Amino acid sequence: MAERCAIVGIGQTHHRKVRDDVSLAGLLREAGQRALDDAEMTWRDIDAVVIGTAPDSFEGVMMPELYLADALGCAGKPIMRVHTAGSVGGSTAIVAAHLVQSGVRKRVLTIAFEKQSEGDTTWGLSGGRSGGVGAGGYFAPHIRAYISRSGAPEYVGWMVAVKDRLNALKNPYAHLKVPDITLEMVRDSPMVWEPVRRLESCPASDGACAMVLTDEAGGDRSPHKPAWIHGTAIRSELGQFPGRDPVNPKGGQDCAADVFKQAGITDPRREVDVIEMYVPFSWYEPMWLENLGFAEQGGGWKLTEDGVTEIGGDLPVNCSGGVLSSNPIGASGMLRFAEAAMQVRGQAGEHQVDGARTALGHAYGGASQFFAMWIVRDTKP
Amino acid sequence: MELLYRRSLGPVVGAFLTGLRDQHVLASRTGAGRVICPPLEYDPESGDAVSDLVEVASSGAVTGWTWVSEPLRKHPFDHPFAWVLVQLDGADTSMLHALDASDMAAVSTGMRVQIRWAEERTGHITDIACFEPEALA
Repeated sequence: MAERCAIVGIGQTHHRKVRDDVSLAGLLREAGQRALDDAEMTWRDIDAVVIGTAPDSFEGVMMPELYLADALGCAGKPIMRVHTAGSVGGSTAIVAAHLVQSGVRKRVLTIAFEKQSEGDTTWGLSGGRSGGVGAGGYFAPHIRAYISRSGAPEYVGWMVAVKDRLNALKNPYAHLKVPDITLEMVRDSPMVWEPVRRLESCPASDGACAMVLTDEAGGDRSPHKPAWIHGTAIRSELGQFPGRDPVNPKGGQDCAADVFKQAGITDPRREVDVIEMYVPFSWYEPMWLENLGFAEQGGGWKLTEDGVTEIGGDLPVNCSGGVLSSNPIGASGMLRFAEAAMQVRGQAGEHQVDGARTALGHAYGGASQFFAMWIVRDTKP
Repeated sequence: MELLYRRSLGPVVGAFLTGLRDQHVLASRTGAGRVICPPLEYDPESGDAVSDLVEVASSGAVTGWTWVSEPLRKHPFDHPFAWVLVQLDGADTSMLHALDASDMAAVSTGMRVQIRWAEERTGHITDIACFEPEALA
């Protein structure tokens, strides 16, 4: 089989609306340094760097990998940049993992980032024109279709928002914290894109996430308990084609089936202990639970309603507070992957799920057309 | 066309630009003692953060140049001028800027030049209006 790959260092920034205390490079360095500290390594110990971020138009820094090479200690080393829209943080981690699993590199640093405060994301998404509908406007009809198909009660979306916001209070790095959050507050918050209310939506954040990945020998030497990668999968599909179901995209189904197969998981609902999935608008929790095979069609919302996805439930989802609480877009996917690894390393602090041994990290992007997932465990594959 | 971007510069480039407002030129000194101007936040050789800021002179020597006999609309002058690499006294690296010289014969590698400061300075790179031949003492 391929070389085993261990996650031996994880770091993230304190995500905020504006991080004007640091340059773009300084933001990446902050996450990178924390990951290196966790791995007890220095920048010099790294063989290659893989970075990822959303479209350049978000920050207006063209090809940031050029400017960042020096800042990330890449003189004389390979650096590469990945881009797959919102899923990029996940696919960046997977590219880094493949460099190790292929035997090409031994110690790879991967960093994903976004500094949303430096630009205007909606403007960037609409190709430099104002008046774009933004991500929420694009996804709202899909959410409405899901509610219509599944017959889910309206309050399920509010429940996801309350859960993730309560979880964020346990995460020192989370951006948006609403200590007194209640269902009524979510219900009464302004309708932004019908049926999505303001408190059911993600914030715009500045932030970065980093991980140090090593080969098996590096994992064996790791000063702190490593997480081991048991499966990685990426799928893509066109954003629009006749017969496409954007509510339950085939790319997401296939990606999940692939990653579970690699990890030897036949009953994900029973075998996965904790999930970090990309939920930028509350309804994506039940939607993705169905898309990934954790619930039957039309049944995802019942898991949320029954409290199964709470930290104390038997399939906790987004214990970190998720994208609903911190959304440095390019980093958001990697945060899911990293938080999954933190759970199996027992490193998640107050939002740790007791006894988590198998975790799924999930990201999606574009018009629900890019998917990236990994399964990590506390044991070797 | 709209431009909606803003930049946060961090502690090194931010200090450099703030210094220009007060006619001070700051450089970053790496762990190996190399003085980089304009300053970089991270040592390009080691990757280490560079937090040691030192002031260099506002005059220095031309290390390379090219003459522009027919300026374009976006150039800093509407008369012929030189693009120059200037190594300010105290720095180990050169910065690219425009030199306001009377004619090509007045420009040479090694010639002494000094900053001509903008009259109104705002902590922006344009606080350095251009370079000019160093005044004779």
